Amino acid sequence: MHELYLAESIIDIIQNYAARDGFKKVNSVSLSYGRLSCIEAKSLQFAFDVQAKGTTAEGAALEFKILPAMIHCFSCEKDLEVKMLPGDCPSCGGNEVVLTAGTEELQILELDVD
Amino acid sequence: MKVKVVKKVLDANDRIAEENRKLFDQHKIFVINLMSSPGAGKTSLVEQTIKAIKNKYKIAVIEGDIQDTYDADRIAKLKIPVVQINTGGACHIDGNMIREALPSFDLNKIDLLIVENVGNLVCPAEFKIGENIKVMLLSTPEGADKPAKYPLMFQESAALLINKMDLISYVDFDLKKARHDSLSLNKKLKIFEVSCKTAAGLEAWIAWLTQRIDEFKK
Repeated sequence: MHELYLAESIIDIIQNYAARDGFKKVNSVSLSYGRLSCIEAKSLQFAFDVQAKGTTAEGAALEFKILPAMIHCFSCEKDLEVKMLPGDCPSCGGNEVVLTAGTEELQILELDVD
Repeated sequence: MKVKVVKKVLDANDRIAEENRKLFDQHKIFVINLMSSPGAGKTSLVEQTIKAIKNKYKIAVIEGDIQDTYDADRIAKLKIPVVQINTGGACHIDGNMIREALPSFDLNKIDLLIVENVGNLVCPAEFKIGENIKVMLLSTPEGADKPAKYPLMFQESAALLINKMDLISYVDFDLKKARHDSLSLNKKLKIFEVSCKTAAGLEAWIAWLTQRIDEFKK
């Protein structure tokens, strides 16, 4: 559901840049987010397509750089990439771990424009 | 042509939240953003908290719901100023909704503002509203897998109340896992085991909250 609001915010930001830089068409928007931040890329593209109609952002493709989820283990002191938060360290089985990356919020990195 | 942006998509909301924060600071208002899934017991916690400390602090409440005023009606019975925000389908409260609700209150007569967010474990954690602390509830029937599934809210919260402890013998809730995984997301998270129905365990929450408010008001 938050994809609707996020898409609207992306379009607002694009329009501010279009007003500043004077471009007329956006080919693609490069974005990043952490893989555990509960963002659904397909829903976001859909919400974006619907709301971008009639704006400079119409037809732009969203390109996502998904940042990895990482944990740190306090037993083996390793930093490991994980798919989701594990109960124990996947490497040594130690039970004190902390999630150090993966919930980064959605950012716009770059626009490709004409 | 490439245009470098590097900007948080929710930047505009963050700025409104900062303006709200300034206003709250001017009036020395401590603000709690209370979050959980639907039915975890947010309104019951608000009621219990009001009953426990309403003689000590002037309290106001903002109730966020997609529709209806059931929750606001419950709070109004406690003779506390309450504003209902109907988000009209939006799954969270954002900074602007709070800004628009504030003129309904006399800010000089509030020590503590409790914002009960829309029931949802995902979106409310992303939107700042100008709060001092985020507080979340997880109720035992929901299951202990929630920290791993919805990590952001656990990371963002200062306190987690594990609610409906009175039901724990009837539901398959792994308390040890819930505590362990929550702390794996947020080492500083303060965890309370409570029942908002029986009031068991709430003294520790109230003592912790009171201390936070008093430190802020100093």
